[in-house]
Amino acid sequence: MFQALPPEPAPMVAPGTIERSVATEGEVRVAAALTDAQVEVDSSFRGASIVLYGAVFNPTDIPADVVVVVRGPDAPVRLVKKTRNMGVWLNSRPVLFEGAPGFYMTASTRPLSDVADFGQLRRLGVGVDHLRIDAPEESRTVTRYGVRDVVVSRLGEDYLDWRRAVIRLKEAAALYNTDPDGVQFVDKGLFRAEVELPTVAPTGKYYAEVWLFQEGAPVSVSNLTLTVEKVGLERDIYEFAHRRPWSYGVLCVLLAALTGYAASRVFRSR
Amino acid sequence: MDIYLPIAEVSVNWPFLVLLGALVGFVSGLFGIGGGFLMAPVLVFMGIPPTVAVASQASHVVASSTSGVIRYSGMKAVDYRIGGIMAVGGALGALAGVEMFRYLRLLGQADLVVAVSYLVFLGLIGSMMLYESLTQILHRVRGETPPRKERRRPMWLYGLPFRMRFPRSGLYISAIPPFGLGVFAGILSAIMGVGGGFILVPAMLYVLRMRASVVVGTSLFQIIITTAVTTILQAGRNQTVDIVLSTILLLGGVVGAQFGAKLSGRFRAEEMRAALGLIVLLVGIQMGLELFVRPSDLFLLAPGVGD
Repeated sequence: MFQALPPEPAPMVAPGTIERSVATEGEVRVAAALTDAQVEVDSSFRGASIVLYGAVFNPTDIPADVVVVVRGPDAPVRLVKKTRNMGVWLNSRPVLFEGAPGFYMTASTRPLSDVADFGQLRRLGVGVDHLRIDAPEESRTVTRYGVRDVVVSRLGEDYLDWRRAVIRLKEAAALYNTDPDGVQFVDKGLFRAEVELPTVAPTGKYYAEVWLFQEGAPVSVSNLTLTVEKVGLERDIYEFAHRRPWSYGVLCVLLAALTGYAASRVFRSR
Repeated sequence: MDIYLPIAEVSVNWPFLVLLGALVGFVSGLFGIGGGFLMAPVLVFMGIPPTVAVASQASHVVASSTSGVIRYSGMKAVDYRIGGIMAVGGALGALAGVEMFRYLRLLGQADLVVAVSYLVFLGLIGSMMLYESLTQILHRVRGETPPRKERRRPMWLYGLPFRMRFPRSGLYISAIPPFGLGVFAGILSAIMGVGGGFILVPAMLYVLRMRASVVVGTSLFQIIITTAVTTILQAGRNQTVDIVLSTILLLGGVVGAQFGAKLSGRFRAEEMRAALGLIVLLVGIQMGLELFVRPSDLFLLAPGVGD
């Protein structure tokens, strides 16, 4: 059951920095850090709140926007739709969506649509609407109106409903979150944002990107990582259950039978 | 007072779980059923993934049934012979049931099958028990003599091969019906997360016509074996058994089961059956409602990605 860790994604690089003249390079910059880069899940874990703080170096007069994106490990999502057949609500066949992170949040100084335009956000993959969530098993390529390799989905016109449902369900579980004023400036050039991890947050490596936008274009980015892992007894039990599942099952049964036996002895002696 | 469950990956209020375990254990000891059909819906309601709830409570059923069997065994009220034959069938049924459950999860139809089986089996058994026991109570209240019971067993019990003697149950019948009953209970145990006692007890009473005094103890004995096999299979194949969750549940469960078993002698048999029938019927209707009520969200996450 242990999945191989996915290859680490290349750190985000703000496009355009290469083309800038040497004189201005590095002048507008963002730097950020997390108060806690390691979240430990133990028996008292009830979610975690991590503060991300950072600084903006902006010698120019152009106002800058900060966008914080935190992305958890990818977890494929299987979704069914309830449909009514002869008065009974039945499940459709499940549809597998890939590319959905197990946790995703954005926090920004302004609503994302004001910070940058659709195309820019889509290119950077910033914002819940721009996640590359897709159902590859449902799509096939056809030739339509003489155009070859047109990708169509078997879900047809409902496709967007399905995709939105993935996001809605994740938002309901507090796993996806969009906070249009989650980045607050505490002083000139100094900002903070909060990352709220719910109890159900998946364990693994999280990647945080802190983007700096000027006039709708990204000018700088800072990459951070965050690990959420089970520790102590919680980790031992989890690993035991997954590495030696059969002995674990036998142990569970023995424990149960012994407890039952012990209880009956205790009660009989009274 | 919250504790994080390592396999279910949620945090829950543990004193509430101990109480729930005790309550279900009490019902279990009182009526001689595993009580799983009561617990699974509550656990799911608390936010525990259904697959983990079903698998983890099976070990709670093992514990409360063990303490029940030891008690009944002291009263010479367990027929190990017929129970053993049913248990072999139960283990085979559980094996098939766990594989069926895996397949249903892949199809995304697991919760549908669970809801339908709850509605059909609990609804049917519940109303039958309620009807039968209420008629008896009515007869007693009116002071009429109850109509003579049909004491003859169905003839096919005798027509089948492999006849065996079961002195404690007062039976000399073929081994095939109890075996088949065990297989059926085993499949249900894996799919519904229940011991199958609510099916076994009436079937042993009305179909096999076993001696009433040994029915409860024998059904508990069969349930131990079936649910133990189910727990091991669920842990080995699906990794859905949460040992922390089941330990919390069974701590309350064993104590509750003792009190339940002590109290069970104080009531008339038909009143007990009426109460159990009512509980079974209500749970069945409650679980079946989701088939007919418009869901709040048409889309639903289907578990079973990791397989």
